Amino acid sequence: MLLPSFYDFCCRVKTISGNKALEKIPVLLAGMNAKKPMIVTDKGVVAVGLIDVIKKAIGTKLKIGAIFDGAPIDSDYKVVNAAAKIYRQKGCDSIIAIGGGSAMDTAKGINILVSLGGDNLLDYEGAGAVKKKLNPLIAIPTTSGTGSEMTLVAVIADPERKVKMTFVSYFVLPDIALLDPRMTKTLPPALTTSTAMDAMTHAIEAYFCKEKNPVSDSHSLYAIKMISDNLLNVVKNPGDLKGRLALANASAMAGIAFSNSMVGLVHNMGHSTGAVCHVPHGVCMSIFLPYGLEYNLHRCADVIGEILFPLAGPEVYAATRKKDRAEKVIELIRKMNQDLYDATGGRHPRCLKEIMNRDGKQAVPQSILPAIAKATMMDGARLYNPEEILEYDSLMVLEHAYEGIPLDRSKIKKGGKKVAY
Amino acid sequence: MNTNKYPEIKPGSKFIKKVYCFIMLLIVGRAIEAAAKTDKVVKKEVEGLPNDLCFYLGVMPSGPYMVVGKTKEGGMKYLGWNLVGKKINLRMNIRNIEAAIQVFTFQESTATAFAHDRFVVEGDLPTATAIVRILDIVEVYLLPKIITKLAVQRYPKWSEMSPFRKWTGRFIIYGRALGYGLVKDIITNIL
Repeated sequence: MLLPSFYDFCCRVKTISGNKALEKIPVLLAGMNAKKPMIVTDKGVVAVGLIDVIKKAIGTKLKIGAIFDGAPIDSDYKVVNAAAKIYRQKGCDSIIAIGGGSAMDTAKGINILVSLGGDNLLDYEGAGAVKKKLNPLIAIPTTSGTGSEMTLVAVIADPERKVKMTFVSYFVLPDIALLDPRMTKTLPPALTTSTAMDAMTHAIEAYFCKEKNPVSDSHSLYAIKMISDNLLNVVKNPGDLKGRLALANASAMAGIAFSNSMVGLVHNMGHSTGAVCHVPHGVCMSIFLPYGLEYNLHRCADVIGEILFPLAGPEVYAATRKKDRAEKVIELIRKMNQDLYDATGGRHPRCLKEIMNRDGKQAVPQSILPAIAKATMMDGARLYNPEEILEYDSLMVLEHAYEGIPLDRSKIKKGGKKVAY
Repeated sequence: MNTNKYPEIKPGSKFIKKVYCFIMLLIVGRAIEAAAKTDKVVKKEVEGLPNDLCFYLGVMPSGPYMVVGKTKEGGMKYLGWNLVGKKINLRMNIRNIEAAIQVFTFQESTATAFAHDRFVVEGDLPTATAIVRILDIVEVYLLPKIITKLAVQRYPKWSEMSPFRKWTGRFIIYGRALGYGLVKDIITNIL
């Protein structure tokens, strides 16, 4: 186990996991002296009846101040500003965030504004700009991927500038994460795969990127194991509540890991592709993950090789020579994407050209790759990647990911041998 | 109760370290201004920055600081070490003087310093990321390769920066950063 020269780690989120976890909401809010929560969610969550599940679990013990179901696919700061007004008008004193990453990030953004004052979220952009305790926030994920219920960051887009802004502070962390398998039971197979691969990416990038540390590592390794053991089973048997709960836990653990160790190239590319082409984040993650590993292989092959143990199990790990383990990890991630593609009937894209929008058109045309490469230079994740990422590096990776072919390693500009953690 | 038994502990000033950081920030600030006029990559990065950008890089809790702003002509201008009276919209702070010394003596690269949570950024993070890129290029010009390799993620290959470009750029940037303008900036800031 590698001990870095310096690290810090913090996770203050109380985690409640299991069946009937939702029934604890009134008691938990009462414990934080909150009486009138605002529910923040999206229309998809409402449509599949998950708000009704929450209402039933809460019963008559709690008065809901407002239900805001306008969280967009990509959290938008203008939506946050509008929702904060509703929160104030209805006299709410806390937030229950229900949904995937966007709903969570929208809820975090609203919480910043309503707790600290002001009417424009942009005033709090950056790392460390939020310096005070915020109002109570309970996060209930309905996907098993973002890990947003455990993270100190809210990623919120500015559609005019086509960038995703980050709001980073320990005070942004939710107070409580509630993991109940009823909330992910209705998740369709394609969304299950993309969000779980998002969690897998969090765990893997947290494990090899520059801010890695032993406390985060322990979360990463167990998250990788739980996803590897359960994802394919859950896709084939969507009603497998035990597997669903395992994925929800893996997502939360991966969230803890990457919230403290940060992420690199895969997220750098994913954020930029999402901002330019409005492609779901999880889809980008599953496509870019093997490329992120290949790109950084020369800087941290031994660290990447350690991932083989939770990914494939002790037998495969022991049977693979040390120098081949990192390559085996990349091979298995590609195989996992292929298996998920087969299991979902082709709805889990393996490369950028396979991503289709709702009209059935290509979501990421080849002509837009230079614009994505340019956007990667403005994304903070590039600072945490073991190898330097410049615009032409990004374009080179994007061109390979577009076609779905392994990276031509001779094109990687190498900045050195081993990375210093 | 005799409160004198419980004396207040005042932080040490670490004067020499502060002076070292002050000089480094002064040179880097001037060099950013010079590089924005000289280097095509820095020029391109500056083009993408907000027109009203005024940022500082400093050391918590009380400095030293380096304030740099984007000019109407699209270049960068070193605005001194004083924060008063400036419309700063991006604050990049190093958490303490010891962490700043690690960065400014090149024991830790800027990216590693970010990874080790030495920086606190208030403002637009994409802009801060672009500024880190500019700082990396400026370091390549200002410092010898053996030191710069410690300070940046990847030292530019010949295909990225030819020796001709590097040495002519280095000569011009040093000339502009340490020339007449430096004296003028110091006098302006003192007065």
